[in-house]
Amino acid sequence: MSKRTLLMLLGLFLFTAPLWGAETRQELVRQGTLEQIVEKNRIRVGFSTFVPWAMKDKKGGYTGYEIEVAGQLAEDMGVEIDFVPTKWSGIIPALLTGKFDIIIGGMGITPQRNLKVNFSEPYEYTGMSIIANRKLAGGLSGLEAFNTPETTIVARIGTTAAAAAKKFLPNAQLNLFDDEGQALQEVLNQRAAAMVSSQPFPEFQALKYPDRLYLPLAGKTFTREPIGFAIRKGDVDFLNYLNNWIRVKNADNWLQERYDYWFTTQDWKDRIE
Amino acid sequence: MRQRRIRWGMLDSALLLLCVGALAYLGYRVEIGLEYRWNWSVIPQYLLRYDEIDGWVPNLLLQGLLTTIRLSFWSLLLALPIGLASGLLRASVHLFNRLLGGCYVSLLRNLPPLVLVLIFYFFVSDQVLPYLKIPALLADAPQPLYRFLTLCMAPPDQLEAFIAAVITLAMLEGAYIGEIVRAGINSIETGQWEAAQALGLRRWQLMRHIVLPQAFQRMIPPLAGQVISTIKDSAIVSVISIQELTFQGMELMASTYLTFEVWTTVTILYFVLTYGCSRCADRLEARLLQS
Repeated sequence: MSKRTLLMLLGLFLFTAPLWGAETRQELVRQGTLEQIVEKNRIRVGFSTFVPWAMKDKKGGYTGYEIEVAGQLAEDMGVEIDFVPTKWSGIIPALLTGKFDIIIGGMGITPQRNLKVNFSEPYEYTGMSIIANRKLAGGLSGLEAFNTPETTIVARIGTTAAAAAKKFLPNAQLNLFDDEGQALQEVLNQRAAAMVSSQPFPEFQALKYPDRLYLPLAGKTFTREPIGFAIRKGDVDFLNYLNNWIRVKNADNWLQERYDYWFTTQDWKDRIE
Repeated sequence: MRQRRIRWGMLDSALLLLCVGALAYLGYRVEIGLEYRWNWSVIPQYLLRYDEIDGWVPNLLLQGLLTTIRLSFWSLLLALPIGLASGLLRASVHLFNRLLGGCYVSLLRNLPPLVLVLIFYFFVSDQVLPYLKIPALLADAPQPLYRFLTLCMAPPDQLEAFIAAVITLAMLEGAYIGEIVRAGINSIETGQWEAAQALGLRRWQLMRHIVLPQAFQRMIPPLAGQVISTIKDSAIVSVISIQELTFQGMELMASTYLTFEVWTTVTILYFVLTYGCSRCADRLEARLLQS
């Protein structure tokens, strides 16, 4: 190969290289979840049942704070919405294998989870609280009082409540259950002294069983956890869209307003029963 | 067959009293020992609800029951040919066929169904189902097909997961049915085989006309058991979020915290379904015996 052809080839390469870059970028955008959602006119939302984040209503549909957030997000994108109820323990693998596009299910942002999925900015905050059995805990107050080897604590498996229980009550015995109803039943049946759960579950249960349960922390939470949307890794466009959507919805106070409705009132109770 | 007349004796009365007493004691213990606020009044609306436009329509739990029935039906439909094939392979004269069938059966029977369902759903179905292009096919499907699929299988958005579940269940049940088929074939007396061979029937003619018809009659009771077992096993696919009875029940419990009411209702629904099936199997068996 002569020097001239070599130079010409080099020149060709230098000229077309930016073109390849542009093509790759376009391809990336086209493959991104955001474009796919718009193209299919359909966003698939994964969630798990947590009161009052997402629940079955009595008409066979879904209702709750996250359901409203997801509905608003879809409306703003101008696409249809598919709700994909999924077991909490398998929700991240289901996202990663593409069973849905996004988790809108009150998922707390943790470094461990963040290794597997991308999180948007937090759009709400939750905190952990405990609810205790009157007979068994007998007026213990404060978190430290429950941190003894003879105390049994229950929580829902795979949640940040379980992680918080391990961290803040390392000496207590921890039993984990698949859903909150079962965990609460252990406390009601006096097999466990207290249950760790995120707000507002403890408050609502204390109101329901005032003679059996009480709030050892007097309504305060002992953690503050950011909640974000979870999406698959490597998708900058979608993440950017979600972050800005949250900014807009925070700016007009819509998120706070809905949060107050679902978390500080029980006006929605008749949608469930 | 003439039945002996049943006479009601002292012992029967005593036993009946004992049973009633035990049940009453259980109820009493539940009432006293279990710190639980019962609320049965809200359960019926989760079975049937009144819709302004459509009138009475099935709600969560009945929808779940219908999904369980659809799931069991399609898995059985698929499991029967799989089972027949694996049974024939296992009873084959060729070593290769026997090894093939044996491999399938021992692999599927020696894994916990739960593990199998998870592996299949997250790995296998992900590699296979996207190539079938179900959503694209559905988009072009004519309206009657669309309605048929929704009615007989699952709503379009859940169809892929539903198919994955059906295939998993069918593979699992196929292994057990295969063993039933093999046992049925092996139970046919050597005289029958020899007579058929003496008549000059080829191997497949012998199977089709002599062995399988007789074996099928003997396979009915264990097959009926397997059908019921399939209905019960279908609860496992709740882990991959198929909205069948167990999943709907668990969702409802997570929403309402009515743990015991919902579990009790789910139990009764399953029992009605499986007991109905076992009565049908009994009648079928009796009729086959008569003819």
